[in-house]
Amino acid sequence: MVGWSVLFPYAYLVPLLMVGSFVVVGLGGTRLRRFAGGGWIAVAAAGASMVLGVLLGVAEMLDPTYTDTHVVWLSLPATGTGTFPNGFELVMGTLVDPLSGLMLLVVTIVGFLVLVYSLGYMAHEKGLPRYFAELSLFLAAMNGLVLADNLFEFFVFWELVGVCSYFLIGFFYEKPSAASAAKEAFLVTRVGDVMFLLGVFLYFYVYATSGPAGGWAAHGFLFVQGSSPFLAGVMGGSTPLLTVAGLMILGGAAGKSAQFPLHVWLPDAMEGPTTVSALIHAATMVAAGVYLLAVTSLFLGFTATDDLAIVAIGGFTTFFAATMALVQPDIKRVIAYSTISQLGYMVLAVGAGFAMVGMYHLFTHAFFKALLFLAAGAVIHAVGTQDLFKMGGLRRTMRITSGVFLVGALSLSGIFPFAGFWSKDDVLSSLFGELGSHPLYWPFYLLALATVFLTGYYIFRVWFLTFSGENPRDRSLPAAHEAPGVMLVPMIVLAIFATVGGLFPFVPAFAHLLPGAGIPPSYTATDLALSALSVGLAAGGILTAWAFWGNGRVFELPAGSAAQPVRRLLLKRYYFKAGYDALGLTGVYTFARLCDFVDRYIIDGVVHGLERSFGGLSERGRRIQSGVVLDYASYVVAGVVVLLLFLLVVGPYLVATWGS
Amino acid sequence: MTDAFTTAGFLALSGALLALGLFGILTRRNFILLLVSIEIAVNAAVLNFVYFAAFAPTTAEALNGQSAAIVIVALAATEIAVGLAIVLGLNRLRGSIDVTGATDLRL
Repeated sequence: MVGWSVLFPYAYLVPLLMVGSFVVVGLGGTRLRRFAGGGWIAVAAAGASMVLGVLLGVAEMLDPTYTDTHVVWLSLPATGTGTFPNGFELVMGTLVDPLSGLMLLVVTIVGFLVLVYSLGYMAHEKGLPRYFAELSLFLAAMNGLVLADNLFEFFVFWELVGVCSYFLIGFFYEKPSAASAAKEAFLVTRVGDVMFLLGVFLYFYVYATSGPAGGWAAHGFLFVQGSSPFLAGVMGGSTPLLTVAGLMILGGAAGKSAQFPLHVWLPDAMEGPTTVSALIHAATMVAAGVYLLAVTSLFLGFTATDDLAIVAIGGFTTFFAATMALVQPDIKRVIAYSTISQLGYMVLAVGAGFAMVGMYHLFTHAFFKALLFLAAGAVIHAVGTQDLFKMGGLRRTMRITSGVFLVGALSLSGIFPFAGFWSKDDVLSSLFGELGSHPLYWPFYLLALATVFLTGYYIFRVWFLTFSGENPRDRSLPAAHEAPGVMLVPMIVLAIFATVGGLFPFVPAFAHLLPGAGIPPSYTATDLALSALSVGLAAGGILTAWAFWGNGRVFELPAGSAAQPVRRLLLKRYYFKAGYDALGLTGVYTFARLCDFVDRYIIDGVVHGLERSFGGLSERGRRIQSGVVLDYASYVVAGVVVLLLFLLVVGPYLVATWGS
Repeated sequence: MTDAFTTAGFLALSGALLALGLFGILTRRNFILLLVSIEIAVNAAVLNFVYFAAFAPTTAEALNGQSAAIVIVALAATEIAVGLAIVLGLNRLRGSIDVTGATDLRL
């Protein structure tokens, strides 16, 4: 029997299929009107790449090996001297391992479902070929990122998904808010990207200069090589440079995964189509930051300082973003803040040394968060508004949507036995086990625990405001209707994943993709108590939401309430966006003005001054050229006279004075 | 060589001829007079070749100076031929042979 591993060298086809779809749909343009603006082509390509991706994932379950296939791009031999005494090699290739197998499952399945859903959701939009081409390019880049076998290639695809995110947030580019949100997302993530690139350089520098000859650097910095004992030995002696490199990687991950303080762009990214929010800004691209941290943690390892910084960023962001989700009036923005908060959990887990637990939460989150977004999209599609306070009573007209949204909300809250429960509980109990290793872990553990309560509250606030009650609060809304089948089927499939996805690690074969995650082998009374505590907190949050918003109630904070300033602070997003804008307007703009001044008046001034003085000189010089032949004759005579004077008078005088 | 001509006197004569020619070159505006002035200046040089050839120790070396003089005379003749052609052209073009008017090549 031929083993599953024969598939591994063909992993590059997964992104390549989507590149093909990008080229065909992108070049086909409006000629593809009969294929739903190229949608059917993109769906077909995504379907084929999903089949291959799932096959690869299953192959990894049955045969959890590391298979690297690559071509050498740049190779410097080891010379013992120069900048790279140990040799240096850059490669492009694919690495199929349990981690990328898991990510392939998530990206290709969610990508395919979202593309199918788009056929219905985007049917009435203009610029469909552009949409499907960009989404295809995104999926190509994301799959490439997942399969990348070294940090440099990872960075290349990382930038590609970033630019696709920019395109898709700005899909409605005629809307000024969408154009500016796209720009904001691009600029803010760029800060992280620069840090990531510096981190890559630092790792390359350290290993290319100080590793043994023929080591990691000379073999393309492959992740799979990095997992060898040799690297662990080098990493054992952690240097300040490696700590800085780790912090830079964290900075890159914070930019992509919208972690504090680079979180501002994600809520604004909701200006893009809801499908884009679901696929890119919830399930896949924003998870790339967590994936990067997990990959780095597993193959390179972080120093203790790095780990603490990662826990701090993740733990704080979890709570920080959840508080902002409490008061938002926009259905998509609540889910966006929730995404930031959940990404915080994953970062927290990676920082505490449980990369696989973080990936576990990434896996379940991808399904229930994509589900929440698609369900929210169905609601927006039906009522044409994103304002929660205008909706209400939609349970009656949108039965299936309200049902799958409820599944997603329960999963997000972490209610037993939905998918979110298992992974979130795993994150919390893993961190609980590590509390002894650093005193500073305690506050972040407590923040993460408090967030469970907030999560239950804010997502059910959305559910009650949208679906409960008798009728929409705004009577002018169009009569809601259930979403078409092409939108319902992906939601139902995702709802199934959001329900049972948490149980996958208990399947022995699937557990190969997530070694170390899931319920610990010895389930103690402490674990049970922790699970009960987190479910209790989530249930408390849900009950609080019901008390305030249930049955169509609308809770109005009294005008004189002491909580009003807090509410305003949360609505203003802690003034972070305003602060960044002010920083841009004062600091950066002043600096730009200064540069403009230097360029315009000093640099250009010197250039133009020289130009003007030479111009004046030649303007004067050209008057000698009168064109009159007699003038030229007199210049000749004058020249001869000067020459003769020099030869006969000045020359002999000089010789007599200073000798020959 | 007769005593009537001392070397200094002869050089003064050819210098005077050169000065006369240069004066004409710098002041004449009439193209034909300009050419005449050039001829005078050139003949000052020819005179020098002939005079100093007389002091040559051998006949062969004396011929050096005299042949140079003949070459210059021939050159002057061709120059006048070309010059007169230009004069005719200038006159046909502008109706005048005033050299100060011919400034068409100026930038």
